[in-house]
Amino acid sequence: MKRTTVRVLGSIGLTLALAAGGAACGTTETGGPDAEECSGTIGFMGALSGGNASIVLPSRDAAKLAFKQFKAENPECKGLKLQEFDTEGDPAKASPVANKIASDKKFLGVIGGAFSGETRQTKKTFDEAGVTMISASATATDLTSDDPAAVFHRVVGHDEIQGAATAKYLTESLGAKAIFVVDDGTAYGGPLADQVKKDAGDAVKSSDKVQEKQTDFAATISKIKAAKPDAVYYAGYANEAGPFLKQLRNAGIETPFVGSDGLYGSDFPKAAGKQAEGAIITCPCLPAEKASGTFAADFEAEYNVTPGAYAAEGFDAATIFLEAIKAGNSTREDVEKFVDAYDKAGITKQLKFDDKGDVAKDAVVIWTYKLEGGNLVPNEEIALA
Amino acid sequence: MDFFNLIDHLGEHTINGLSKGSIYGLVALGYTLVYGVLQLINFAHAEVFMVGTWTVLGVYTVLGVSEDTGPVMVAVALVVALVAACLVSATTALGLERIAYRPLRRRRAPRLIFLITAIGCSLALMEVFGYVLKVFFGAPFGRGTVHIPTLVRERPVVALGDTSITNVQVIIIVSALLMLVGLDQFINRTRLGRGVRAVAQDPDTASLMGVNKNRVFMLIFVLGGLMAGAAALLFTMRFSITKFDIGFVLGLKAFTAAVLGGIGNLRGALLGGLTLGVVEVYSSSLISSNWEDVTAFVVLVVVLMFRPTGILGESLGKARA
Repeated sequence: MKRTTVRVLGSIGLTLALAAGGAACGTTETGGPDAEECSGTIGFMGALSGGNASIVLPSRDAAKLAFKQFKAENPECKGLKLQEFDTEGDPAKASPVANKIASDKKFLGVIGGAFSGETRQTKKTFDEAGVTMISASATATDLTSDDPAAVFHRVVGHDEIQGAATAKYLTESLGAKAIFVVDDGTAYGGPLADQVKKDAGDAVKSSDKVQEKQTDFAATISKIKAAKPDAVYYAGYANEAGPFLKQLRNAGIETPFVGSDGLYGSDFPKAAGKQAEGAIITCPCLPAEKASGTFAADFEAEYNVTPGAYAAEGFDAATIFLEAIKAGNSTREDVEKFVDAYDKAGITKQLKFDDKGDVAKDAVVIWTYKLEGGNLVPNEEIALA
Repeated sequence: MDFFNLIDHLGEHTINGLSKGSIYGLVALGYTLVYGVLQLINFAHAEVFMVGTWTVLGVYTVLGVSEDTGPVMVAVALVVALVAACLVSATTALGLERIAYRPLRRRRAPRLIFLITAIGCSLALMEVFGYVLKVFFGAPFGRGTVHIPTLVRERPVVALGDTSITNVQVIIIVSALLMLVGLDQFINRTRLGRGVRAVAQDPDTASLMGVNKNRVFMLIFVLGGLMAGAAALLFTMRFSITKFDIGFVLGLKAFTAAVLGGIGNLRGALLGGLTLGVVEVYSSSLISSNWEDVTAFVVLVVVLMFRPTGILGESLGKARA
């Protein structure tokens, strides 16, 4: 008898405690003591370390710069925080990060995912938790075309545009008639290569697939040797593309090389070595010096390096969140509504998202960058049809 | 399926496969030696190789050599790098035995404990290069891919019909064969080698006959480390990169090679490595590179179905004398 009483009382106690806990959570969700004070936390999720980090670090640094400048201009907003999460660009490592951000109510939004694979992996988690995502660099087309998540937005053009521009560059600017396409089979490289194949049509004579973490590309290089193409196109990331190009040049193949935006950053030239000079990459990112305002100069003053891949886009993504919070939006729902309705000129383009989360197609620019003296320097803009 | 590509360029694909497989084989020797004597799968051996690649980078940095260095200095740098990589790898392997495995053996720990310890050591060593050293020294340590200067520019030297073999490939294949022959002779002809075979066969009886068991255990770890160090230099000559987890995939493949050839069998390790390398390159050329792992493991499964002990079969103990 006695034991039963204890049990019953215990269960009632537990239930009450849980209810109280739930209620407590409820109160922080709805009101929030500092709702009026312009504060909030935004996450940054991407590859901050690993072989592809140099594609992501500039946008992280630019986002930090945006926060710093914004806080200097708006002293009342000193409670604003940018918290970084390293995923190494690996979808498997991004999942726990996404769960952490989604379950922590202090996060009002996230800048990311930086890569397409991790974004595809995590957008459902963020969608369910209502966390607004603004990616500065995830370009895979299917992120917005297949099962679009309401919370996902990106300030860059998608790969349908990049693929078409690349095909145009390969066939018109380079005049290639026999292109060899290599992709890394990732959520980003695979579809991008398919898009280029589709748009370049007959000019693509042969293709091959490699995989992530591969170091030996001898088999692919043999195929290239046999196919004798007049251009080699690589869709994937720097971690494999660097060694690939190096081995290609070592094998005595001097064919012009064009790579996708996943190669942008200091990792690629370093790994590809001196013989890679003259390699071209395409990117839906604007050269920072072409961005409006004083961004390029500010970035250089802050970090003593020239802004690299997606820096200006990272700045734009951060700015949208900052303005959302300044406008008094202190819940995830309000931030999402604000971002959906956002329509202002950013430093790279007009920032306005369609219902899928993409920016307007005519706002997208695709640039080529050339490897010169160990650095990727802006080359020319590919005019889009 | 691109059969024409495979057949038209069979020679080239074979050479590519052999040079890839030689490195698998050299690393596999380390797995096989330790397994043959201790029945222990030393998963940390992959990191013994990784440490070797970092040593090569260290030697190049200290000597200040780069891609423009003259041939005399290049030769000096390669020899110093070889010696250093072998020594550091061997020391790492020996350290693993002394610090991680011997205390377990003394306590008669079950075999599973050794396996878990090996995996733990593997992760610990990776994190040393991926994180700890970065905290103290910064770049180049960390999780990124690190570029190592290519001292010997790869160029074709031998031409057999349409097939051209590059200088680096010749160096890799020839050194792997020489090292296997050397190791094989050492185990089969010398006094120390006889000790190794005796302990592999029956550790207790061997120690009754006056063989110092612990010294044999140390010796096999050192031998495995030497091979891994040499493999590290050959790997960096061809691929010019290293990374904190560079050993992971390669170690897995090398272990597969050891099993394929017959674990515990020295010649089997190299044969397994070469087979695996060639199979991978053939499948890459037939389909594409992202199929190479699938094909490699399908071949492993098929071989083990018909020859459960691997191609050459038997352990160091039985293949011995």
